[in-house]
Amino acid sequence: MMGGPENGQRIGVVLGRREATPLEFWVGVEGEGLLRLDDLVVVESYHPKVGKVRYFGMVDHVAKAHEGESYDTDTFLAVEGKIPVSLAYVAHVSVTRIVPEEFFPPDPGSAVYLAQGEDLELALYYEAMKNQRGSTKLPAGFLKNGEVAYLNLEFLNGVKGGHVNISGISGVAAKTSYATFLLKSLLESGVLEDAHQARVLLFNVKGEDLLFLDKPNLRLSQEAKRDYEKLGLDPGPFKSVAFLAPPKKGKEGILPDVETRLEGVKAYYWDLVQFAQKGLLPFLFADRGGMSNLGYLIVHVTEKLRRLAEGQKGPHLLVSDWPGGELPEEVAFDDLGRVRLKSFADLVSYLEYKLLGPETGEGEGDKAWVARQARGTLEAFVRRLRSSVENLGHLIRGDRQGNPPDPLAGGHQVHVVDLAKLSPQGQMFVVGSLLSDLFAKKERGQYRGRVFVVLDELNKYAPRDEESPIKDVLLDIAERGRSLGVILIGAQQTASEVERRVVGNAAIRVVGRLDAAEAERPEYRYLPTSFRQRALILPQGMVILHQPEIPVPLLVRFPFPAWATKREEVLEDNSAEALRREFF
Amino acid sequence: MAWRLYSLEPLRWEALAGLGEDPPNLQAPGGSYPFHPLEEPWEAKGAPPVPWPEPLYFVDGRERAEALISDGRRLVLLGCVAAGAVAFAGGGMRLLQPRVRRVGVGLREPLGLGELVYEPLPLEGGGEPLSPTALQEGLAKARALLEEDLAKGLEGGLLIVDGPVRLKRQGPVLGYIKTHWARYLPMDKETLLYALKPGERTPIFRVRRGGQELASWYLRLPLPPEGVRPPESGLLRVETPLSPEAKGLADLSLSLFPALASHPVKDPRAPQNLLPVGSLERELSRRMGSRDLVGRILARYLGGG
Repeated sequence: MMGGPENGQRIGVVLGRREATPLEFWVGVEGEGLLRLDDLVVVESYHPKVGKVRYFGMVDHVAKAHEGESYDTDTFLAVEGKIPVSLAYVAHVSVTRIVPEEFFPPDPGSAVYLAQGEDLELALYYEAMKNQRGSTKLPAGFLKNGEVAYLNLEFLNGVKGGHVNISGISGVAAKTSYATFLLKSLLESGVLEDAHQARVLLFNVKGEDLLFLDKPNLRLSQEAKRDYEKLGLDPGPFKSVAFLAPPKKGKEGILPDVETRLEGVKAYYWDLVQFAQKGLLPFLFADRGGMSNLGYLIVHVTEKLRRLAEGQKGPHLLVSDWPGGELPEEVAFDDLGRVRLKSFADLVSYLEYKLLGPETGEGEGDKAWVARQARGTLEAFVRRLRSSVENLGHLIRGDRQGNPPDPLAGGHQVHVVDLAKLSPQGQMFVVGSLLSDLFAKKERGQYRGRVFVVLDELNKYAPRDEESPIKDVLLDIAERGRSLGVILIGAQQTASEVERRVVGNAAIRVVGRLDAAEAERPEYRYLPTSFRQRALILPQGMVILHQPEIPVPLLVRFPFPAWATKREEVLEDNSAEALRREFF
Repeated sequence: MAWRLYSLEPLRWEALAGLGEDPPNLQAPGGSYPFHPLEEPWEAKGAPPVPWPEPLYFVDGRERAEALISDGRRLVLLGCVAAGAVAFAGGGMRLLQPRVRRVGVGLREPLGLGELVYEPLPLEGGGEPLSPTALQEGLAKARALLEEDLAKGLEGGLLIVDGPVRLKRQGPVLGYIKTHWARYLPMDKETLLYALKPGERTPIFRVRRGGQELASWYLRLPLPPEGVRPPESGLLRVETPLSPEAKGLADLSLSLFPALASHPVKDPRAPQNLLPVGSLERELSRRMGSRDLVGRILARYLGGG
């Protein structure tokens, strides 16, 4: 027999009773050998015309059976010591790599070794994860055998591919936890070359989980700290984080609407001029699918508003063609006789006047604004606008200078934008406005660094069956973002409900625990059957990772968050300075 | 001299030589054996269960005729014989390394055909032309030799062989006979056979065969209650070389054989074909290689039949 891989341990032979192919084969485990799911193996085969060929693969199925027995009840006889049995211990191996790339099958009977050290690196293409400037091995967790698992950064930073899609049911710490862990690795492992320039926009969609990213986690064990060190990461919280939350509803003052985190959170909102200038009106209409004939009107009015706001400096919007008699009480005239719109409700009233005419009488709207739309359409538009006042009145204001989140500005690297308390319409508006603004800036080349956007509940923002302006933005990011340096780390419970093109453009797929029915959908076909079955029973802190270069997914464990994920986990800072900050 | 394939189905004698298979010789009741009981009275006997002695060996062999070949003057039977043993020790049955040989009955020198090598097995007497029956008997003899050779290597314990006790061995041997062509009991004693209940045996009686003195007894194996069966079903005749331990072995056999009886659902020769022996036979035929594959190799090297 030819000499086996130097540092590997011989574990069995390639079976001949079952077909061996260049892509998969079965291994008979010999003696006291142990072969488990996810173990990596290497096989050497030889052909006189090609020479030595090495097959690297991963075990994705293991089985034991009594051989040669024709009846299941023979097992009882074997247990009673009445018949001899032969125990077969077999494993199915999916080939990940052949070196050199000669796709002929390995010989049955070839020795199988555990892949270790360099073989392991070859099996998982780690040695190919590099570019002219060095390694692109981004730590992504731990393999089953305790070794560090890597992602090829070039499939994440847009060079060869971009975007990450994470699927998994809620509550087993997969989606958000893994996304934040990945961010930590991206920003701090040193593999991303221009990490200091990278910016992160994180949407906090439920609870206040992400509002403590900058606080150390009280429950971080010594073991978890060693995990971080092994990955080359600092076992601490994120260092540069800005927190933004919508303001509390109500007229007095502007306070961020958060409950557990009391300091360091700023309220975000837009003023009317920003709303008009940036053309954010379409993002109020999330369900464009149900009102296709409104689409043109929305574009038209958005454009009208943009022109109206030209040259104005907020927060209030000045209009000159609103007759006094029609004015709501709180609307005031300015010095030049123009009317000052001081709230979103005012703007809606103004638009109503412009589109439908004075409330009294048979008036008609301003011809320049209605754009020959039928009155029914105009009324539908106004009705929808009216109903959004309650949801968005506190986010679009005319009473003070706007402070919309801008992840590309300011000194902070990570921007957490809280959406949890907003109505669905409000969430749509914020996500849509921010993403389109961000994308527009990147398109104009206003920021050089990479921007990572983390968005959960993609199924809401880019649903498979409906059309919406936000879905357009997400599709834009998914399809063109990677070349512009905008990388989407999207997550959802069910990938089957998300627009195919958004999921399809993600180079890296991550699966946490799945619902049984969901796991059977075609969106997960890239997972071998055994992985789909295991996705149903994945424990906390484990995900299945799929990246383009490696033909098999990897089961990866990632460390416990080093940052607090809720108030109780915050490691109290009782220094004098901290106490002083809290009380004064 | 070139060998040519004559037939790949050498057991179809009739088609070849116009010979019918010899029917087994049924011996007359009472026959030439004077009946000599070793235990009195002539009635069913039971025995309390005892633990099995260790190690306990089961030895069995198989033979398979693979081809009939001819060089124009002689007929040679190519066949495969295998013998193996199962050992019971430490509460489990373990298969010992089986032996497989390919032999050419009537060959004078080894014949290599691809990866198959047939060893010569000259026939006694060497009377030619040989009858297919004689060839078949030669193969059976090769198997018996192999079994005996294997049994010699098994040390200590109790040896159980399938069929009559022929081999010589230090230590106890039990042979068991599944089908009963010969009658050892006089008519008036035979009635006890039909009265035996599962787990009971007849008293021991003496048997003389080919200069060998043996002690023998019948015992009844348990049979599941279903079905209508002839009265002799489940009947096993056990024999052991005549010695003072024979009675002890007879009692032990009641703990041994009924426990190892096979089930008719799984084995057409149930219950007499013992469980470990059934497994051993399957294993042996597997080790002989695929019948089809051997046939293809032979056809390739010897031409069509």
